[in-house]
Amino acid sequence: MARESLSVVFAGSGGSGAMTAGNVFLRAAANAGYYGLMSQLFGPQVRGGESAALVQISTIPIEAQPDCFDIFVALDWDKVEQFAVEIPLDENSVILADKEAGAMPPSIAKSKAREIDLPMSDPDLTRLEKALRGRHINIFAAAAVAALAGLSEWNVGSALQAVMGDKSNEVIKANAAAAASGAMAGKKLGLDFKLDRARKADRWLITGNEAIGLGALRGGVRFVGCYPITPATDLVEWLAPELQKLGGRLVLAEDELAAINMVLGSSYGGTPSMTVTSGPGFSLMIETLGLAVAAEIPAVVVDVMRAGPSTGIASKTEQSDINIAIHGTHGDAPRVVLAPTSIADCISTAESAVYIAESLQVPVIVLSDQAFGQTRVVIDPDSKRPKPMRRRINGAPSGAQFKRYAIGFDPVTPMPLPGTPGYQWVAEGLTHSEIGLPASGAGAHVAQINKRAKKLQRFEPGDFWGESWGEGDTVVIAFGSTIGPAREAARRLTAAGHPVRIVGLRLLAPLPFTALASALDGARRIIVIEQNHSAQLYHYLLGQKAIPVSAESVARPGPLPFRSSEIASYVA
Amino acid sequence: MSDTLASETHCVKAMAAKDFSSGAHPIWCPGCGDYGVLSALERALAAHGRPPHEVVLVSGIGCSSRLPAYTSCYGFHGVHGRALAVATGLKLTRPELEVITIGGDGDGYSIGGNHFIHACRRNVDMLYLVMDNRVYGMTKGQPSPTTEPDWDSDIAPGGIGLRPFNPLALAIAAGANFVARGFAGDPQGLADLIIEGIGWPGFSFLEVLSPCVTFRPEQREWKHMVRPAIMTAATDRATATAQVLAEDGFNLGVLYRGERAPVATPASTKITLADIERQFAIGV
Repeated sequence: MARESLSVVFAGSGGSGAMTAGNVFLRAAANAGYYGLMSQLFGPQVRGGESAALVQISTIPIEAQPDCFDIFVALDWDKVEQFAVEIPLDENSVILADKEAGAMPPSIAKSKAREIDLPMSDPDLTRLEKALRGRHINIFAAAAVAALAGLSEWNVGSALQAVMGDKSNEVIKANAAAAASGAMAGKKLGLDFKLDRARKADRWLITGNEAIGLGALRGGVRFVGCYPITPATDLVEWLAPELQKLGGRLVLAEDELAAINMVLGSSYGGTPSMTVTSGPGFSLMIETLGLAVAAEIPAVVVDVMRAGPSTGIASKTEQSDINIAIHGTHGDAPRVVLAPTSIADCISTAESAVYIAESLQVPVIVLSDQAFGQTRVVIDPDSKRPKPMRRRINGAPSGAQFKRYAIGFDPVTPMPLPGTPGYQWVAEGLTHSEIGLPASGAGAHVAQINKRAKKLQRFEPGDFWGESWGEGDTVVIAFGSTIGPAREAARRLTAAGHPVRIVGLRLLAPLPFTALASALDGARRIIVIEQNHSAQLYHYLLGQKAIPVSAESVARPGPLPFRSSEIASYVA
Repeated sequence: MSDTLASETHCVKAMAAKDFSSGAHPIWCPGCGDYGVLSALERALAAHGRPPHEVVLVSGIGCSSRLPAYTSCYGFHGVHGRALAVATGLKLTRPELEVITIGGDGDGYSIGGNHFIHACRRNVDMLYLVMDNRVYGMTKGQPSPTTEPDWDSDIAPGGIGLRPFNPLALAIAAGANFVARGFAGDPQGLADLIIEGIGWPGFSFLEVLSPCVTFRPEQREWKHMVRPAIMTAATDRATATAQVLAEDGFNLGVLYRGERAPVATPASTKITLADIERQFAIGV
């Protein structure tokens, strides 16, 4: 019987090519018209650590990791044990491994998954020949699993070409040969993992990090100041050449303090600007975030969250930067905090982030996470784009001394670009007067604090506030990468006769009270679910009186992703 | 972006120093060296000839960092120590503006030390002017990285006991393209150095001895200690380094002129977002 979806893990020690295998398999499925998603698991080592590609392919869009994987391919067994808890298997799972690779580690064996011998390298080759010519067992394995799923060799071949594009002809030929023998070996296994037929359409294959980069470019970002940090680095590595092609610029700063200050300098000059970081770097940027608030300089700060505090787990996900994003920095410092609701949504949320920053002259924080950033997914590209909003640079009264920080009906005041005659102003982080001169009187302080607060109070998000899916008087509130598994749980519960509504927040600050209240209308039970220990979102919503005290909290730290079954069993 | 600049900006009538003054009253103590620096800067900008709206003064935190508000130029008064980073982002995206970074010894050499090193290394075309009074004045008298080891203060009784570092040697080593020393009590000489620093390509570093008469009254003696540098400006880094390490810190003038090309604006290929987006399309 053909199936709706298939989940496969390619695991091995670093350098075994697990990620390449996953990418080839995912792309082959995408070529054939399937949806798909590939998460990446890494250890801390740069080389030689454990690595696993977790791939699902399906006839319908996928936004969550499965409860259990169908197929586990061991490219080797070195260190794979360290992943056991992150790769759930059960007695219905199949493990494909080469007997030559040695015995299965006990932590994997205890899943009771069925082990099937799959000799992956040519038995006629000597060890020396294998070392010289490469073993290509990752491609062999990807092709074998593709054959099991019913993917054609043509689709695998073109995926291989796309993934290996820049390799030499010799390497591509050797891999193609490995793919051909892998496909043959896969068919011989006698296993049935055939997928239902797929419907082809114009789709994209994109990671969350790339999606944010693309959205930022669409929004007009032409300057990025950044410092390398996992898991945000690949975002800026993708952006650097693309920015340059568009006439923009990326500067690798000496540290995150410099990165965000470069962003403010460039933004002050009129260029929409962004920095990209993760928790530790974000902590370093916090003082300057307050400067952006006080001096009213637009800036986009992307935080690809990882497990914290301190250095935490650099390569693994967590949703634990809510507090710092909403509250971080001393003083009263209103800012905008956004969280994409899916990987596809990273594009338009990032684009909107630029527009909001520019039009309100505030820092906008985009909370992504490793689970979004480093996951590659097949999406239906959205043709709808957010409506552009620009910075007010004109319209200031001329003649008298220019009041950059004028107090009046409209809290958003024009910020003429340096170079404009007659409107010279100083961007000022000290409490200042209307013309921007430092002032330490109570009047100026209160007036400017109110001005900045009013900008956000007046902000009307419309449909942008978030999304709501499904009916039912049980409501689950989630954000970011937790929305996917929550929606899948709701789908199952609803199918079982227990309708559940999911509310995904995109605008975390300022909180969209009206929209949220109407999304919660008729709720008898409210559950706030998030991937951190201290229930940061729950306490924020409670403190803002956006949810009743009877609301429940499901909060646990990362890096394990929420499984749909975990959410379903709590909600049911 | 450059269309905001008037096309004939260089043909406007000659400007006077007072055209660069905002008229705001400085917070500086009477007798502070920073008045002399402000006056020298106004003279230099007038002579340089670009109108105030084409000049941006970027500063951090400290007495001297208050300077931008006292001029009629555009300005950016940011957080402590990060002025060079702000100026870098601005100059790289608006190269047609005249960007000058202003600050003190605490701001530039202590909390902003890392940015100082990397700004020299990056060699963006701008002037960095540091008013060095060898003390944290705004917080009422603590030793800075250039304070003498035996200078007594509340926070370091009997002296900090550390050798002051040499910002000029540091700048030369890190890659600054122009290194000079001026004195606040010699506004005309200082103005000349500012003009030359602005005009020199790449990152120009100008250390200005600017006495703090409140917390370091002994610095009033500096006017008797400074002298025009007897050595000629070196053009190779080894000689320049040897000279600034050997001298007593009171030689005024240009001490190093380099020939590194400033960081360039990369050439852009004209493509559209749609071209970029094509990489995500699946298959054929």
